[in-house]
Amino acid sequence: MKKYIFSTIIILLISVACNKEFTEIAPVGVLDANTFFDNEENAEQALIGLYDLMQYNYAKDWHSAYFLKILPGDDANAGGGSSTDQTQLQDVDDYANVSVSNSTILSVWNLFYRTIALSNTIINTVEGSTLSNKDFVLAEAKFFRAWCYFELTTMWGDVPLRLENPMELSAQAFGIPKSPRADIYTQVEADLAAAIAGLPNKGSENQNFRVSKGAAQALLGKVLIFQEKYSQAIPYLADVIANSAHELEENPANVWSINSEFGKESLFELGYISTNGYDWGNVAWGGRMESSLHIQLMGPRGDGYFDLTGTGLLNGWGFNLPTAKIISAFEAAGDVDRKAATLMTETELVAAGGSLTGSPWDYEGAIRMKYATRASDTSADGVRELNYSTNWRLLRYSEVLLLAAEAYNKDGQDGNARIELNKVRNRAGLADVSTTLSGNDLFEAVVNEKFLELSFEGQRFWDLVRWGKASTELSSTGYSAKNNLFPIPINEIDLNEALTEADQNPGY
Amino acid sequence: MKNNLFKNLLFLTGFMFCSFIEAQSVTGTISDSSGPLPGANVVVKGTTNGTTTDFDGKYTLSNVSSDAVLSVSYVGYFTQEISVSDQSTINVTLIASASELEEIVVVGYGTKQKSLVTGSISSINSKEIQSTSNQRVEQVLQGRTSGVTVVTSSGSPGAGAKVRIRGTGSNGNSDPLYIVDGMKVSSIDNIAPSDIANLEVLKDAASAAIYGTEGANGVIIITTKQGKLGESVVSYSSQFGVQSVKTKMNLMNASQFVTYMNEAGNSAVVDNGIKTDWIDETFNDSFVQRHDISVSGASEKLSYYLSGSFLDDNGTVGGDNSYYKRYTLRANLKSEVNDWLEIGSNITYSNTGVSPIAEDDSFRGVVNNVLLIDPLTPVTYAGALPQRAVDGVAAGTAMMDANGNVYGYPTYSTGEVINPVASSNFIYRGNIDTDIILTSVYAKLKLAKGLSFTSRLGYERSNRLDSRWNPIYAVTSEQQNTTVTLRNNINRNSRWLWENFASYSKEVGNHNFTALLGYSAEKIKNPYFSLQGSDVAQPTEEFAYFDYTNRDNDIIGGSIYQKNTESVFGRLSYDYLGKYLIEGSLRYDKSSVFPQSEKGGYFPAISSGWVVSKEDFWSEDSKIDYLKVRASWGQNGSDANLPGNGDIQVFQTVDGSTSVVYQGVTGVTPGDLANPSLTWERSEQLDLGVDLRALDGRLNFAADYFIKTTKDLIIPNGNIIAPPSLGQTVGAINGGTVENKGFEFEIGYNNTTDSGLRYGIDLNLSTLSNKVTSVIVPSALVGASAPQNDDGVTRFEEGFPIWYFYGYQTDGINPATGEINIVDTDGVEGITSNDKTMIGSPQPDMLFGGNISLGYKAFDFNVMFQGTQGNDIFSAYHQPSRPITNKPIEYFTGRWQQPGDIASFPGAANIADAYDTDLMVQDGSYVRIKQIQFGYNFPKEIAEKLKLKSLRTYISLDDYFTFTKYNGLDPESGSYSDNSIGVDRGFYPIPAKALFGLSVEF
Repeated sequence: MKKYIFSTIIILLISVACNKEFTEIAPVGVLDANTFFDNEENAEQALIGLYDLMQYNYAKDWHSAYFLKILPGDDANAGGGSSTDQTQLQDVDDYANVSVSNSTILSVWNLFYRTIALSNTIINTVEGSTLSNKDFVLAEAKFFRAWCYFELTTMWGDVPLRLENPMELSAQAFGIPKSPRADIYTQVEADLAAAIAGLPNKGSENQNFRVSKGAAQALLGKVLIFQEKYSQAIPYLADVIANSAHELEENPANVWSINSEFGKESLFELGYISTNGYDWGNVAWGGRMESSLHIQLMGPRGDGYFDLTGTGLLNGWGFNLPTAKIISAFEAAGDVDRKAATLMTETELVAAGGSLTGSPWDYEGAIRMKYATRASDTSADGVRELNYSTNWRLLRYSEVLLLAAEAYNKDGQDGNARIELNKVRNRAGLADVSTTLSGNDLFEAVVNEKFLELSFEGQRFWDLVRWGKASTELSSTGYSAKNNLFPIPINEIDLNEALTEADQNPGY
Repeated sequence: MKNNLFKNLLFLTGFMFCSFIEAQSVTGTISDSSGPLPGANVVVKGTTNGTTTDFDGKYTLSNVSSDAVLSVSYVGYFTQEISVSDQSTINVTLIASASELEEIVVVGYGTKQKSLVTGSISSINSKEIQSTSNQRVEQVLQGRTSGVTVVTSSGSPGAGAKVRIRGTGSNGNSDPLYIVDGMKVSSIDNIAPSDIANLEVLKDAASAAIYGTEGANGVIIITTKQGKLGESVVSYSSQFGVQSVKTKMNLMNASQFVTYMNEAGNSAVVDNGIKTDWIDETFNDSFVQRHDISVSGASEKLSYYLSGSFLDDNGTVGGDNSYYKRYTLRANLKSEVNDWLEIGSNITYSNTGVSPIAEDDSFRGVVNNVLLIDPLTPVTYAGALPQRAVDGVAAGTAMMDANGNVYGYPTYSTGEVINPVASSNFIYRGNIDTDIILTSVYAKLKLAKGLSFTSRLGYERSNRLDSRWNPIYAVTSEQQNTTVTLRNNINRNSRWLWENFASYSKEVGNHNFTALLGYSAEKIKNPYFSLQGSDVAQPTEEFAYFDYTNRDNDIIGGSIYQKNTESVFGRLSYDYLGKYLIEGSLRYDKSSVFPQSEKGGYFPAISSGWVVSKEDFWSEDSKIDYLKVRASWGQNGSDANLPGNGDIQVFQTVDGSTSVVYQGVTGVTPGDLANPSLTWERSEQLDLGVDLRALDGRLNFAADYFIKTTKDLIIPNGNIIAPPSLGQTVGAINGGTVENKGFEFEIGYNNTTDSGLRYGIDLNLSTLSNKVTSVIVPSALVGASAPQNDDGVTRFEEGFPIWYFYGYQTDGINPATGEINIVDTDGVEGITSNDKTMIGSPQPDMLFGGNISLGYKAFDFNVMFQGTQGNDIFSAYHQPSRPITNKPIEYFTGRWQQPGDIASFPGAANIADAYDTDLMVQDGSYVRIKQIQFGYNFPKEIAEKLKLKSLRTYISLDDYFTFTKYNGLDPESGSYSDNSIGVDRGFYPIPAKALFGLSVEF
């Protein structure tokens, strides 16, 4: 008996102990990267990953690239519940205390590089493959890489230019020095040239949200203008303008409306949807959400401040308020239609049936209507605050027209410049500029038109910087020349072996 | 073998019969001071003729020669030898050996005589814990032994505690390994302290090394009770008590608040006549009760212990809405089937129900809101409602109490800050219900003399259903839930552990050897599910089920965690005459969570001891009866619950909890960068110790010095080494070394005076010095966050204590402006975030505890205390973005008011600047009287009249008195997360309890 029991145990023991597979467990829910790019569908899935990262970066909880680009401009104030609400945003708005550990700056920087890293993986893997959709996949991935590097160099100047991902886990492999802005531009131009060659025309994409050839051309034109290569930019912009797939929306109210999403004026747009049914319990703060929390963040603050009766708007958390300067700029221009689509003064609010009690932080007389908390833009049932579906139009046809106007003007073709400028003015309900307006006066007219047309779209500050106008336009706001660039996140300098404190942008 | 022995015995007996020496039989009773002693050994000295006493302590021995000597022995008693010399009845009263040295200590895969132990092991036995009000095993450990830190997570009912043996050795999980009746368990939630027979803490590496994996943070071995030979014993004990929050903390009252806010420039804040003391209003007295019943007994073949327990602890916040209820059932059985086979099983089932409130949250915790909400807000409105409440009632978003009174909306406070009474009573609904079944069965085969083989199979299964829902309410933009939301999390964890080991003991002359060789395999499989839904027809419990949600909003999730481990282990112990002791062990562990090339790890240990008092030169009449010096060294490992497969580069369709999807199309995102060289976290420890017993065993003393170094720390979030421009995420990496060192002392003196007064004092003290000696990156790891503070408040950095507090040093308040003088520490002109530095440490320098007991006749009295010295607490409950919030009173009384003031706190307008400075750091040292107990044992006559074997009652004050300089709610409340120890975001304080207890045996 004893022997039987003992031998049974020993046999069992041997059978378990000699099972070499016992300490091997297959991973759950993941796809092996070594074989992932073996087929066309997977390569397309990886591209969707790029769109998703962009969607994430431009609307991530309190840290979006979208708002970060707006904040230093003179069109918007940070706003919010108080002067200390989301200090990392207030600091950027107020210039003086922008910290090297600013969490929004870090998040945006990192997410651009995450998008770049995924683009690198796609480009470097697919380049050597025989996939049937190879050209298209490469073109889209290169568009995103170019987009991200352009944003990075605009906001940070010289930045690390990584085109291949390290495969080894070591500080040495992770280290990479900064490249001069000129090198970044060169790479962006090369990527965009490839994108232009490989992308379909607007209207013939597989899905309406995908980037088109026109988007890549427009972006390349913009990139060249940022380098003051005006004459080189003109052909790309002219191509976009001449392409009948691109047009202005008929009236300003349509431009940012959910009814014209991925429409004819839109060249590159990030989509958000309201059908995910987020509520206060399941909302993924800081995660890759499908709706835009930023609309809620930037809605007129409730809590006893704004009563929005009659406006069709819902209360939000109070960020991104118009400055007195942009309000008066609209009034000075005699702009009515576009102003109504962009902001609403207190008088207009009261006239509509709403009211304001007390004085919200950073409020200077108007609430914003562009990308506003429209009740119609969110889910009809469920928690409306968390399900805004408003898309960001990151590159619009009217911006292309204004970029073209600028390029023609700088290139000595004021006649063409006026044509493009007038298209934008006419759509806004404004008359043509004087046919004699030329030279610097015409340039100033373009500047002012762009201030109004692209207010709250994150263009203003970066234009002021490249035009050398920041110090005059932003005088007595706390701005100083160091604000022309954001600080490189301290994490980057600490962890990137190839960088030292000396690589920090001046003044930080 | 056994048969041979039996034959020999027969032969011997026969031989004796035939001898000419007159043989006789002897009977008698063996007892101790309290009565008959069943199971004592009575042997004729120099022969194998012997027996054990029966249930009544009686024995009969035949064939005893008249010149024989009887040797009577029993574990824990002095052996007595009595000459027979024609007596036919010999009654012996054994005297308990004052020494604990003959005690048996449970060690890994076996037991050992305490006198032969070479490691550092502390024991707590059932006597020490039988009358405490402790509801949880962790609480039992607190203050009773040296070297063990117990940081209670919270005073919330049923909250666990962080147990740290010899300091925090890791940046991540530093929990010790718990072994219950030989089985490795994932939770000790389900153990009723009344079922514990003893509890051993293996502190040094050599003792723990036999457990290899996960032994790095020390091992706690719990042995539950077994039936004892003798009559069946039914024992019942119960405890009833009232608990209440006793805190030193004072917040500004209404008029102080108005003054302060006006000085800060908030002129809108005016006195409205309401004076709410939110600490008083939120914390209420509550009732706690515990009942334990057990039946136990044993025959020669079978012993059994059956028990059940019930605990009902109503929390001190939120009345019935916060509770902890625990039911446990246990059956421990053991049978000597025959002379070569012993089988046994331990089976337990437990159910716990807990309804927690939110805490440890700088934004939304109930306790956080207690500290922040303005005192001008009423708990509920009396009379006319303000417009806001009228609107809320109309919209159906007002919170109301059971009587329909509307809970006060914050009169001035904004943002996340809401009425804590409303949130604790109204918002938190649902509970967490957990069933745990833990069973282990074993067979022990005695293969030959000294050789046994044990095979033990343990199985643990837990089902945890966390089912909560939130009703509709809207207070501010940041505090609202405009549709009913439901959330369920289901965890169904299982683990089996199969252990097989052979043990062989051999004496060769004066040389004693014991060898152990074993193999074990373990499999963990933990699937989990999450369900989220919203929008039900009515905001009531009856609709809080997923059939009634708006199905479009349902979100489901779930996956599985799996881990397999197998191990081979061995140990060799040797002693010469019990004088020179040496032991070595080696374990090889292989875990599925490591990459292919790094799966296995060897964990060696060696220890030795020298019992100096056994040497010939030791004077027989020395006051010191026993002296042992010992030294040990060993290595242990940890796999830190890694997810596994970190060496494979992957793509996945989820990122954290959200899907990678864009406009309804599924995409992928890269997984963490592959790390093929991930390996075991390894802790290495050197221990030097001395054990001493003196004054006829009345004085016991033990001292230890240890250095524990944890290398290759597993950092689960490897992103700390990734420059953000890498653009890829990094998973677990090895990278860092932490050193803990310190002294530990335990001293006890127990005596009974001639007049019958029993007294005893036991003290323990540990010093601890904790330092991170290397980190993979030159910069610090950022730990705990605080509102609007991008730099974090705790850090893990080379040369500093683990997770030290990080912020600005201050140098008083500028008398001219009322602003804080920040110390410029980086040598660069101007104050920037680079000037932040270490401003405190949550790690104590010293821990101590003690117990003083007095007994006289039927009365006993006991005081137990416990404390820490040198740890700091950081107040992280403030929110810079919400300026109109209440503050501790010292912020008011110590504030700067006008130029020239020498103040300890800044002017009201500058207080937000203080939130990331050392003004938020307080000394968290404390001494707490854990228990003062007065008990009475009813005399035997009364007990017998009531047909009882014994009857005892006691009254006890637990956690009643605390001595501390700390001004917060409770110096003892810690945190749930490892990097947030000492970070006070608003914790449920530990309630003081007044208890009445009763225990009977019949």
